[in-house]
Amino acid sequence: TMAIRELKVCLLGDTGVGKSSIVCRFVQDHFDHNISPTIGASFLTKTVPSGNELHKFLIWDTAGQERFHSLAPMYYRGSAAAVIVYDITKLDSFQTLKKWVKELKEHGPEDIVVAIAGNKNDLGDIREVPMKEAKEFAESISAIFIETSARNAINIEELFQKISKSFIWLHPPVSCTSTAPLHGYLSTCCYYFQGPILCYFLICVVIMLML
Amino acid sequence: MLLVSFVWNSLHFILRPVLDLFKFIFSSCPQLVDTFALELEELEKEMVKKEVDHETLDITGLDGDMSAVHLDPDHHGGTGGERDSGYDSLRRRMSVLDRLTQTHTVWLLLCLSEEEAGHILLQQPPGVFLVCKSPALQRKVLSVRLKEDQSENPISHFPVRESQYTFSLEGSAISFADLFRLVAFYCISRDVLPFTLKLPEAIASAKTQKELEEVAQLGPGFWDSALCSLRDAASPQRHNYSSDSAPPTLRSQNLSSFQEKRHSSGPLCYVNPLFLQTRHHHRSQDRQRESHGSERNPELSFSLNVDEQEAKLNNQSRSPPPRPPPPRSMPKRRPAPPPPAPATTKSTTRPKTPPTSTNKSSKSPSKSSKTPPPRPKKPDLESHRCHIALDDETIAKALSRAKIPTSPPTADKPLDDTEMSERNQHLSDVSMSTSSSDSLEYPRYTLRQDLASSPSQDQDIYEEEEDYGVGLEADLEMRLRPSFKSRRRRMAVRLSGGSLILPRALKGRFRKVSGMLSSLMTPERRAVKRIAELSRDKSSYFGSLVQDYLSFVQENKACHTSGIDFLQTLRQFLTQMKAYLKQSSELDPPLESLIPEDQIDQVLEKAMHKCVLKPLKSVIDVILHDFQVSSGGWQQLKENLALAKSKRPQELGVDGAAVPPDAVVIEKIRHKFVNMRKMYSPEKKVSLLLRICKLIYTIMQDNSGRMFGADDFLPMLTYVMAQCDMPQLDTDIQYMMELLDPSLLQGEGGYYLTSAYGAMSLIKNFQEEQAARVLSSETRNTLHQWHRRRTAQRTAPSVDDFQNYLRVAFQGIDTGCTAKTLVVHPYNTTEEVCSVCAYKFKISDPENYALFLVTEETSQQLAPDTHPQKIKSELHSRPWTHIFHFVYRRIPNLNLCIPAVIHNGNDFQ
Repeated sequence: TMAIRELKVCLLGDTGVGKSSIVCRFVQDHFDHNISPTIGASFLTKTVPSGNELHKFLIWDTAGQERFHSLAPMYYRGSAAAVIVYDITKLDSFQTLKKWVKELKEHGPEDIVVAIAGNKNDLGDIREVPMKEAKEFAESISAIFIETSARNAINIEELFQKISKSFIWLHPPVSCTSTAPLHGYLSTCCYYFQGPILCYFLICVVIMLML
Repeated sequence: MLLVSFVWNSLHFILRPVLDLFKFIFSSCPQLVDTFALELEELEKEMVKKEVDHETLDITGLDGDMSAVHLDPDHHGGTGGERDSGYDSLRRRMSVLDRLTQTHTVWLLLCLSEEEAGHILLQQPPGVFLVCKSPALQRKVLSVRLKEDQSENPISHFPVRESQYTFSLEGSAISFADLFRLVAFYCISRDVLPFTLKLPEAIASAKTQKELEEVAQLGPGFWDSALCSLRDAASPQRHNYSSDSAPPTLRSQNLSSFQEKRHSSGPLCYVNPLFLQTRHHHRSQDRQRESHGSERNPELSFSLNVDEQEAKLNNQSRSPPPRPPPPRSMPKRRPAPPPPAPATTKSTTRPKTPPTSTNKSSKSPSKSSKTPPPRPKKPDLESHRCHIALDDETIAKALSRAKIPTSPPTADKPLDDTEMSERNQHLSDVSMSTSSSDSLEYPRYTLRQDLASSPSQDQDIYEEEEDYGVGLEADLEMRLRPSFKSRRRRMAVRLSGGSLILPRALKGRFRKVSGMLSSLMTPERRAVKRIAELSRDKSSYFGSLVQDYLSFVQENKACHTSGIDFLQTLRQFLTQMKAYLKQSSELDPPLESLIPEDQIDQVLEKAMHKCVLKPLKSVIDVILHDFQVSSGGWQQLKENLALAKSKRPQELGVDGAAVPPDAVVIEKIRHKFVNMRKMYSPEKKVSLLLRICKLIYTIMQDNSGRMFGADDFLPMLTYVMAQCDMPQLDTDIQYMMELLDPSLLQGEGGYYLTSAYGAMSLIKNFQEEQAARVLSSETRNTLHQWHRRRTAQRTAPSVDDFQNYLRVAFQGIDTGCTAKTLVVHPYNTTEEVCSVCAYKFKISDPENYALFLVTEETSQQLAPDTHPQKIKSELHSRPWTHIFHFVYRRIPNLNLCIPAVIHNGNDFQ
């Protein structure tokens, strides 16, 4: 039996770029052409195996409409990962993405995993955002980068797998004996964290180093 | 202090009879005595201690009957010396329930299917168990590792039945308030299981809280861990708990910790009564019924019973902590232990009413004179727990009420040779039958006649519902009545607070033990309270979301385009937070272990109202009003309302025969509308609206002496609403329409809400020339849109609804396999799907066909009441999606192999 860890993920991005479609494809393996704009935020979950553990994604799919912008912080604040989605056929949405990255840097959790997803890659003919540019931007902020198509089910699972890997890298699975969450939200994400022993240990190390 | 002393005294009074009763019961099974003696003695010691400390406490009405309850005064005296040790040991030891509750991450694995659970259990010794969730059954399942030789299949799965607020194993008559209690019980008594459950060694042998925490932190990983494999090294004696080897301790919770809990989380009092009853002789029951020509069977019940007073008190007396709304479960609740049987009884009852005229003489404690069984020296009751905490006021009220006869004694023939002890107090009750000439009198309820005529010669123990002198008669009767009819002989023991163990050795007498464990602070109310507390804790994820949202609403009024838009966003937030609570692990223990699944949504809804709508109520009102003012709607409404108010009923379309309510009634209705406005819960608002509408209906009919239909009602409602002159009602109706849980719109409430909306629209758009007409087309249109929106909203965001299609393969006898995609809604049952299949595949003998869930290795016939779409989505949501198919085929041909044709057949996209 594998241990389950919960990963809170939040989707951000301009309205109409396909955030809900990505989530819907990931969770239900389904695509709806007539999806209506999200109000506020939607919550969905999906559990996938990753390495030696199970990751239960708790996904907050936020509304892209500008009027709901001020709702986003409450969802990304407690998240382990943020997926910022843009539409490769809309340059504007890429500009919005940059704003989101900036906002996350300023107000988001310090160690949040950021993934940039260029959606609608099935519409390559009318592409406005070159893949290279987006990729370079992602690298500059050390974010995950991937182009996806919710409609054709391209790279959707891969996107979340990459998030899982980054998450494990940032927060290695704890062994049975004892380790501790270094990050506040993790403790709520994890079923099986040992007490704060490691935390104290690390604090001691840090103090010693400072001395 | 008074409180504490009362609690201890109460405990004592309650336990004594219990103890004596058990002494009697178990006197024939000496090996049990020792098992229980220790536990009991500890309790006794504590009680004695407390009693000594607070002996001045006077509980009115008790004195006279005390002796009757203390059947074994010697024992009482004997324990006085070592009072303190018992108290300490209580604190030291952890009960099975404690152990289970703290380590639920290990054994409560609802994300696993029974196969996966089976894999884990194969490595475990017999008796070890898991609770998982069967995707095919759509139910929780208790999976137990059997003994190697017991059956071919080393793992057995016992489905958990969930009724309103109770959990029980399929086939068992014992139900419990939550899963923890259920499992704890089966760790001690096997009931329908082949043997008792066994806790993993690491959990059973943990001596400290910390050890348990270590286990819990491993979660499901525990089963692979070194800690789990420790078991073999550890004491082999624990290998299997059976009813005659005591588990670590049977206490469900220790008393001192209960008191702490009480202070922190504040339930005034809670007690978990456990009902146990035998339910056998059904056939003889029926015969009995016939022979008596009466719908009631002679039944007798004895009860050991501690109950919570607070909830009941609040039912009738308006004492401070308001009584929770009557649980919806009441009417449907599993009938409580009904009093069956034998005419021959010796009883110790402590009715809440003063002793009735008959049988006063039987009060004496001398019942033992008739009681043949020898008493063991030591108490033989195993552990059980009573939790009571009452505040002084509650107690005072209970006592004062207890003195008032709540119902006149039922006419009754005098009972012959009855020994009866009564205590005019309302805490516990024990009755037991000992000899053929004894009979138990029930001072209240129809019970008495039954008992008096009860012919049975058997000794038995029964439980009587006792409500401790306050309220809830109706509830009790509701619970009692059905069982009167259905059972003749049974044993019913109800204990408060925890687990009651009935050794299998008793099964000759009590073949089936049935019970009910519930707590009177309803699980629903406790869950709502817990969620509400969490929502205020900003350090929790849920709490910060809720608090952030509350500030968002207060600071960002501008982001909404209209009142309706605002309310929809709010509704969306409520819905999504419910989904979050349901699916995340933030609530610990998980809600699923406390609340039956079909209740969870309602509980969450209520909780979200409390967390979000309650604090926002005034802000919402202001926001809605502001939108109305800024859109000009407010001004228009006020003008039209003034105009409508000046109209006579007939001008608004009221039937000439209908007499409208007079000014006094209008004022009364207005007052009710004002009250409705004060509510934050859309449900409560709608129920008040419903009452108002019913009142108007009644008045219409009373005034004119004839019936009116819906067509007559709308104009009258319009007239009344115009007369009430409350323009604020408009936003209130909006509030209800947008925030009410969509599932509640179906009923009567939804109908009257729509009527109120219609009436308000008529007033809003009131123009001279439109008066006395039906709804304007514009309003009708709005209503229609609203309806569409509601139905759209109901279907759109739900995960289950993404696909309303199901691919079903058909396997004919000689036609091979064909598959069809059917429209199947999530709420369609297997039965419905089968009938569609029969039609689509042109089956002439549908009764021989069934729907099967087929995976690579298994093939399961789906029960008619399951929901294929839900099963599908459940399977899809599992981490490893196995290939599965829904196959419609002949029932006997279970072993036909499934051709590869239908592989991936259900992956409809």
